[in-house]
Amino acid sequence: MSIRGNIQDRAFDIVEKIDNANGLDQIMGIMAVAGHSFGYENFSIAGLPMPGESIDPYIMACGWPEEWSSRYRQKDYVHVDPVIRQVRLANKPFMWSEAPVAQDDSAAQKVMNEGAEFGLVEGFAVPIYTTHGFQAIVTFGAGALTLDKSEQAGLHLIAIYAHQAIRSLLPNSGKGKGFWQLEKQLSGREIECLKWTAAGKTAYEISIITGLSHRTVEHYLINSMRKLNATNRVQAVAEAVRSRVIA
Amino acid sequence: MQQVLITDSNVSLHHALIEKCYYFRHSFFVDGLKWEALRRPDGRDVDAFDIPGIVHIVGVDQGDVFSYSRLLPTTRPHLLNTVYPQMLEGNHEPVGDTIWEWTRCAVDPKRREGRKAADPATTGMTLGVIEACVSLGIEALHVQTHPMLLTRLMELGFKCKPLALPSQLEGQDVVPFLAQISGSTLETARSVLGVSGSVFVSHANDQSISHPHSGLRPLVRAG
Repeated sequence: MSIRGNIQDRAFDIVEKIDNANGLDQIMGIMAVAGHSFGYENFSIAGLPMPGESIDPYIMACGWPEEWSSRYRQKDYVHVDPVIRQVRLANKPFMWSEAPVAQDDSAAQKVMNEGAEFGLVEGFAVPIYTTHGFQAIVTFGAGALTLDKSEQAGLHLIAIYAHQAIRSLLPNSGKGKGFWQLEKQLSGREIECLKWTAAGKTAYEISIITGLSHRTVEHYLINSMRKLNATNRVQAVAEAVRSRVIA
Repeated sequence: MQQVLITDSNVSLHHALIEKCYYFRHSFFVDGLKWEALRRPDGRDVDAFDIPGIVHIVGVDQGDVFSYSRLLPTTRPHLLNTVYPQMLEGNHEPVGDTIWEWTRCAVDPKRREGRKAADPATTGMTLGVIEACVSLGIEALHVQTHPMLLTRLMELGFKCKPLALPSQLEGQDVVPFLAQISGSTLETARSVLGVSGSVFVSHANDQSISHPHSGLRPLVRAG
């Protein structure tokens, strides 16, 4: 059998096991075994928080060393992490070392260096996009990691299935509650932009009124549409009024 | 804005609409995505698979086509086994009466602009495909698409099985997989997308179905 065929069989086997797994413990067990096969030591899955938000409620599974994980959360590293920055732009997986870091970006360099001190030297990041535009990352880390094209393709599939399986468990688990509430809960800025929309203002006009950039206003409106399960701004306003988010 | 399901039993009433679909496909795939192999001087994308026995799911708004999907039976030549079999990397593909291939999936880019989330045109078309499968007894679809869309289809209640590793086809990331439709897929998709009832045109409004001489049975019950 070809090397690629062998990698494919290993990936398919793991994907099928994840699909048939019962509960988070089983999935985590399968992912640990998959790590031996593909060379990663641990992995994490999280949604991507908005600017100014903490990553805490977005974490779906965290396999990082405890000390690193708590430092990362306390210091809000998610907002300077070059891997997170890259995953927001990416539509395909990449190695951590491929995430661009500007020479004068000391904050980004610090995150990578400190992560390396905890054994997270190299990794593989997979972007995930859901139907409602919610974005997440599945990220695998190790002291050293080299993946050829076939292994990247296999791990890409595994990431997609692991994210789906773990995410579908969330509504019933106490741990995931905050995540789901937050996914539906509107921020102050989103409510503000919706109120102006209800008053007949365009995104451009709202940007003038609030001093936010046009793009940021668009961003808040798209997020509120997602959270309100609305397909356009008119419906978002109607839903917001109906659920008494705005008067 | 409505979806129209066209099969052999009502195709005779939809010749004009299918013509529009050919132009829409050419404009989407050739002009938009630069699939030069499909370019034709008459501006119509018609290929060897546009023959009787296939299914079209068409989104129409005031006479204009804005979304399109085509389902081909896998018991005959279809794209995965004739046009790009290399995508399977030597694996066998499951085929059969209840396994069809979802191809030429297209949504007018103007209806998708600036959206991170799936837009109503795309979700309406996807629901149309699921409804068509349920009503025609199709249990699984071959899909060849960007790996990113696996998450979306699984979220909508398809059970997906990869048929090969993700690879590149003419510079595009692609993975072939089987998307299985279960008894709960339609319900899951409707609940995730916040849609109740059928996306297909209701009997009263559908000239094709209420046509006095057609003798056509409704393919899908309106909700």
